[in-house]
Amino acid sequence: MQEKFQILISVLKKFEKAGILSDFVLIGSWCLYFYKDYFINSEFNPTIRTKDLDLLIPEPAKISKKVDLLELLKKDGFLVTFDNNGYLRLEHPELIIEFLVIEKGKGAEKPIEIKQLGVNAQALRFINFLSQNVIELKSKGLVIKVPHPAAYGLHKLLISTRRREEYRILKEKKEALLVLRSLIESGEVNIIVELFKTIPKSWGKKYCLC
Amino acid sequence: MKIIKGVLEEELENAFRQEKAYLKALSELPQGALIKKTIKDNDYYYLIYREGGKVKFLYKGKLSQEEVAKYEEIKKIRAKYKKLLSEVRKQIRFLKRALNAREISNSD
Repeated sequence: MQEKFQILISVLKKFEKAGILSDFVLIGSWCLYFYKDYFINSEFNPTIRTKDLDLLIPEPAKISKKVDLLELLKKDGFLVTFDNNGYLRLEHPELIIEFLVIEKGKGAEKPIEIKQLGVNAQALRFINFLSQNVIELKSKGLVIKVPHPAAYGLHKLLISTRRREEYRILKEKKEALLVLRSLIESGEVNIIVELFKTIPKSWGKKYCLC
Repeated sequence: MKIIKGVLEEELENAFRQEKAYLKALSELPQGALIKKTIKDNDYYYLIYREGGKVKFLYKGKLSQEEVAKYEEIKKIRAKYKKLLSEVRKQIRFLKRALNAREISNSD
């Protein structure tokens, strides 16, 4: 865990030095680590076992710096791999970085090229819910953008209904409940309610209540 | 239990993919290492590499600092990839054992 975390921070520091950290929103299970800086006065203590670092690029066209991410991370041992659908990952034995963008219109079946960074990204539904509810957290000398914990928890419940593998459904729900419970214990239930109201019915939000 | 098994299987899949990627990356790196010989205050370089099971020397002559630095860089990257490949293989062994143990305990 320690090594994973050190590599994660090293990657984020390199992004910051290259001037691109603010172009990303960190989503996925690593948010739980940084939420410790949000739930300061509570007993929020997540178990983080993930190697996946999911980075959402809310506005790819607004990335102003041109940075070859593989060159930036090559010395740390990161390699490029592609999955069966052509989506690129930057891989290290302790960390796997994937890039995501907001799905627009009917959606894209092919990877979306992010020319400024020399990578491609997968367009996903519902993650605009995360990018519309972003907070900044300070950790290890960095300012990291993450979804508000309420948005994170509700989003996890939404996507858990769409998972096929049972272990993934259980994992998503477990993480969602951990975060939502901590918000309730912190007296922030109103934020959960307000954000829940903003979820379109067509997204199947009734399933969040299961 | 289901979460753990699913995570282990996914990790094993990731590890196999990474093993393949590191092997490919290593095979694509320029072969050989640089050896320096100093004769009468001049530095001359040889590239040492293996071919057909034999060790061979290729005379490169005087190289610029830039060229030497490039070879040093490749040497560092090769060492890094070998180390990470070894880590990945350790992970594969561990994950296979863990999944095998889970299969045995599930069948008991």
